[in-house]
Amino acid sequence: MPAGAEPAAPVLEVSELSKQFDGLRAVDGVSFTVLPGEILGIIGPNGAGKTVLINLVSGFYPATSGRVRLLGEDLSGLALHQIGRRGIARTFQNIRLFKRMTVLENVLVSDQRHARRPIRAFFAFGRQRAEIEKARRFIELMGLTARANQLAGTLPYGEARRLEIARALATEPALLLLDEPAAGMNEEETAELIADVRKARKLVMAVVLIEHDMSLIQALSDRVIAMDYGKVMAEGLPAAVLADPEVQRAYLGEEGDP
Amino acid sequence: MTVDYLFFTGVNILLAWSVYIVLLTGNLSFAQGAFMAIGCYAAGIMTTRYGVPFLAAVPAAMAISAAMAVVFGYPALRIRGIYLILVTVGLTFCVRIALENFSYTGGVGGLKGMSGATLWHLGGAILAVGALLYLLSRSPLQRILDAVREDDRVAASLGINLTYVKLFAFGAGAAIAGLAGALYGHYLIFVRPDNFDILVSIFVVLYVILGGVNNLWGPLLGATVMTLLPEFIRALQEWRPTVFGLAIIVMLLLRPEGLLSFRLTSARWSGDAGGR
Amino acid sequence: MTAQILNGLIVGSMYALIAIGFTLVLGVLDRLNFAHTEVFMFGAFAGLLVIDAGFPWWLTLPFVMVVSGVIGLAVEFISFRRFEGDVRITAALSSLAVGLVMIDLTHKVWGTEPVGINVPNFVTTAGFTLFGIRVVYVQMLILAVTLALMAALHLLVSRTRAGRNIRAVADSPVAASLLGINVRRVTQDVFFVSSALAGAAGLLLAFRTGYANADVGLTFGLKAIAIMAIGGMGDMRGAVVGGLLIGVLESLTFQFGVGKLGELVVWVAMILVLLIRPEGLFGGGIHAKEVRA
Repeated sequence: MPAGAEPAAPVLEVSELSKQFDGLRAVDGVSFTVLPGEILGIIGPNGAGKTVLINLVSGFYPATSGRVRLLGEDLSGLALHQIGRRGIARTFQNIRLFKRMTVLENVLVSDQRHARRPIRAFFAFGRQRAEIEKARRFIELMGLTARANQLAGTLPYGEARRLEIARALATEPALLLLDEPAAGMNEEETAELIADVRKARKLVMAVVLIEHDMSLIQALSDRVIAMDYGKVMAEGLPAAVLADPEVQRAYLGEEGDP
Repeated sequence: MTVDYLFFTGVNILLAWSVYIVLLTGNLSFAQGAFMAIGCYAAGIMTTRYGVPFLAAVPAAMAISAAMAVVFGYPALRIRGIYLILVTVGLTFCVRIALENFSYTGGVGGLKGMSGATLWHLGGAILAVGALLYLLSRSPLQRILDAVREDDRVAASLGINLTYVKLFAFGAGAAIAGLAGALYGHYLIFVRPDNFDILVSIFVVLYVILGGVNNLWGPLLGATVMTLLPEFIRALQEWRPTVFGLAIIVMLLLRPEGLLSFRLTSARWSGDAGGR
Repeated sequence: MTAQILNGLIVGSMYALIAIGFTLVLGVLDRLNFAHTEVFMFGAFAGLLVIDAGFPWWLTLPFVMVVSGVIGLAVEFISFRRFEGDVRITAALSSLAVGLVMIDLTHKVWGTEPVGINVPNFVTTAGFTLFGIRVVYVQMLILAVTLALMAALHLLVSRTRAGRNIRAVADSPVAASLLGINVRRVTQDVFFVSSALAGAAGLLLAFRTGYANADVGLTFGLKAIAIMAIGGMGDMRGAVVGGLLIGVLESLTFQFGVGKLGELVVWVAMILVLLIRPEGLFGGGIHAKEVRA
């Protein structure tokens, strides 16, 4: 961010967000903002509450308390589809593609013109050139053109993840949430993913990236938040957060002392 | 082959399609017996008691069926899976019992005097519904339904209003079942509540399972085979439920997708030359 | 009115017996066995076989339970074995088809009219008077048998090794198999017990009405599934309480209500419960989480 620039209105504002499950406070008073144009990384050991946080922001879980604001608008109490329509799109840690639909169809579902008006969508039979073109562009962006007519369930792992990103981008969201997109990838695939996320950043207002892979976090994030036990432990520039002793302890402690 | 059997086949085709359209959104409905009954009785009461012409009563009956579906469906579609199936089963029982107990609808004795439905009407209905389903399969709405069926929460996160879509499918299914019921009643002249009991709902679901759930031809095939085949093979006629049951069991073991398991990809159409 | 309540309890205990069997399979194995209602139906006919063969009427119960248990094993093999990992609905539909076949075969062998079952008169008509209500022996028999069977089931599940295995599998089949438990064997045990209970209920109903009727599966039997939904899917207490409650409500409605609207009671109750409190009266088990969309 250029020094002296006026602070722009945040894309996402999370205030004191908490989620209680029976006896466990999975997310505890988390607050942060995401500014336009930035990629915010979220790191933390397993069980820190990162995915729960994403689920709260995207509307998959209702929050116990706290607030989420997207472009100034309060998302509390909105249904999943309303949050999706307001401009949040996401990928999933355990890949949730529409397996029995083709790659092209998966991306076509995101077309907001039809998703928002399903009945009117019926009458578009036959004349779908424009949306197919648009979907193909997203597919091309993620390098999946060769697989366009292949069933999503048959895709190899790396490409399945890319399809999820393409599908999320095709809703033309303001905010893109990526939940451990590099999980299970090798080095080569991770490098491709970095390129893909950079391409994606240009199409949306901001990106939130949950990751375990530090190389990805360092390569992509403008800022980083570290979580543990449902709380934010540290926040700031990637180098600073990763060097933070608390953060180190949380990670080293998890992997076992050398 | 008697006209009767052709007629029943046609009615079963419509009923199978009505289950199919609800199945497209991922819900299995055993309520077709109920909506068929509502359609039949609504149209029947209009034509026999109020002198409404047959061709006007049928669409009205369809609308009434659809309306009932939306009213019951709205709270019910919030629950999922087996629970929703049970509610549809309950609905079928409730409708039948209600019809048996209210003299306005003729009670156990049934409703008489309906007439006016011919094979032409039925044929027209089948063509119309079939055409609509075909157009559906080529439209973006098909993809939306598929997405809802595959993973409804993810579909919702993409901006799709699940309740709206599921209710639409449920209502459409009820309207088609109501259409089938109205035609059925006005052909048979006389119906009783136990013409619409839970076995009807079960059989129709099984037609769809047998024929295949992936496209509109499957239910058509399942209904046609199971209604017409016994006409040709005497032995089948007497042992229909057993043969049917065994066919389902064997089919599910060997080919769970049904007899017709090819998929009609909705994006696959003449403009799309993409690599295959 | 007390007579009605008693009557309702009798009917309710039979509902409960059927519901318990269904719940057992659902709760432990997470499977919906739609052939269950027809195994219930067939219990009466199995009993008919025994009596017509000349055996004393009181021998019917153990025989029927064994036969029903075996049928249950067959159902497991045909409809459920193959679909172990699959989407539940395939197995459920297959079991539905098996049920249909059972109804038809029964019709073919015994005809479509209800068949009289020869139970000595003193059981069905004689009785005694207690607190001003006339109690017929068959009612006592039904109550006694259902109570005994429920108690036996409870003992089985809580005190025996087989029962321990069943509970382990109910908790987690994967963990259970890791502990060396033969999950397939437990599955068979559960199907056997569940079906035996259903068959017993069918026989008891035949004693009460004096007839074996091939249609009871779809009338009487399906209600037990509704009752299970009311009580809470997969919950034993729910099955028992739900069964008794519905039995009594139905009985009272028949007495004081309009015509045959008593038949509606269970379905309306089920629809209301599922809409308002989908977990059922005793809900809260794993199944509860699946209920809300």
